[in-house]
Amino acid sequence: MNQADTKQIDTFEPKILAFLCNWCSYAAADLAGSSRIQYPPNIRVIRVPCSGRIDPLLIIKAFNSGADGVLVSGCHPGDCHYTDGNMYARRRFVMLKELLTFAGVEEERVNFTWCSASEGKRFAGIVREVVDRVKKVGPWKGFAGPAGQGFLEREGELAGGK
Amino acid sequence: MENNYKKLTEEIRGFAFELLKDGKVDRVIGYGKEEYSGEVTPLFITAPDESNRLIFNSECSMLLAKYLLNYRESRVAIVAKPCDTRAIASYLAENLLKRENLVIIGINGCPGITGNTACIECTVRNPVIFDFTAGEAIDKAELSPRVANELEEMTAAERLAYFQEEFSRCIRCYACREACYVCYCEECFTDSNQPFWVGGSVKLKDNFTFHLMRSMHMAGRCINCGACEMACPEGIDVRALPAKLTRVARELYNYEAGMDPEQKTLLTDYDVNDPQPGFLD
Repeated sequence: MNQADTKQIDTFEPKILAFLCNWCSYAAADLAGSSRIQYPPNIRVIRVPCSGRIDPLLIIKAFNSGADGVLVSGCHPGDCHYTDGNMYARRRFVMLKELLTFAGVEEERVNFTWCSASEGKRFAGIVREVVDRVKKVGPWKGFAGPAGQGFLEREGELAGGK
Repeated sequence: MENNYKKLTEEIRGFAFELLKDGKVDRVIGYGKEEYSGEVTPLFITAPDESNRLIFNSECSMLLAKYLLNYRESRVAIVAKPCDTRAIASYLAENLLKRENLVIIGINGCPGITGNTACIECTVRNPVIFDFTAGEAIDKAELSPRVANELEEMTAAERLAYFQEEFSRCIRCYACREACYVCYCEECFTDSNQPFWVGGSVKLKDNFTFHLMRSMHMAGRCINCGACEMACPEGIDVRALPAKLTRVARELYNYEAGMDPEQKTLLTDYDVNDPQPGFLD
């Protein structure tokens, strides 16, 4: 690893898209904030009514748009505000994760968890863990990008080519 | 045991003739020869004397089940390979067709289609639902479908490189979508601009995204018939991703799509004790 690479990894701050369900995980994030628990500012939160609302295509699109990682969090199984939305979501996410890892996306970028409204501290821990995982695998180069090039340069290069 | 194409063809013609003569159906969907090129093409007949135009041979690759959606309100007989019957079973499970309007002429012991790589992975070979059958049924014990896949042995980076090379050839003609029995949406996500899912250009990034999204829509519904791969003019391995999800569904949920008209699709059902591999705790 040369010096430039080391520097890039040291300063690399991933952009992680977080889909949080309104009733549990968003409230957990809120609780983490009002309890003044520190966690890395790398997540960009999208509040959704239920984890069952999250179309797997949204997550694929997030990677297409250059997100370094994705975190999805909903209510624990059995605690869904809409009875069973997260049960349907669970199967979808398992399939999606298998698909993405099979297509060559690093497993560390695709993160799913359950987090209840009282677990503010745990939510902060999850975010720390996810940020560490994504930092470990480095910046996302896009579906078109091999190692060694940034997402945007690679896209620009390919725009005129194939 | 090998089924004879000539005998299959004769049996199919016999069924079609009787059904049309007795007025049990308005139309028979099967395979025929294109008038000038002689290539195999879907054939729609309405008169009993046309039934001698029906054929069945190793070139009959199209999935005819999808045409049934165009004739929902009329009585139709269809020549159905085992994969077609699985597609029909899925349609019935999704309440898209009426069973009483359908007459299914199943091909027993399907010998497979020339050039279709999915056939060596076929676990069925006999129709799952039918009214009449042509040919002799194959004994399940004789089957030895290939389950291993060389892509599973590769590292993630190698697979990414493999799919990049494959999808870079995609010209976005959507032949895979048109051939697939799953893809009956009136508006496909690729054509939607509100919300906008994926760009329509042939940039690798958009091609890759399109194939991921297409495969995700087929999760738990793909019957691994290989129609997409047969339809692809660029010879892309478009079946690899949905076929992977078929294997995952089999391993994790013991689920096979299109085996029973009563079954729920994988993603419209759940079990409280479903496994959740890869979830953070």
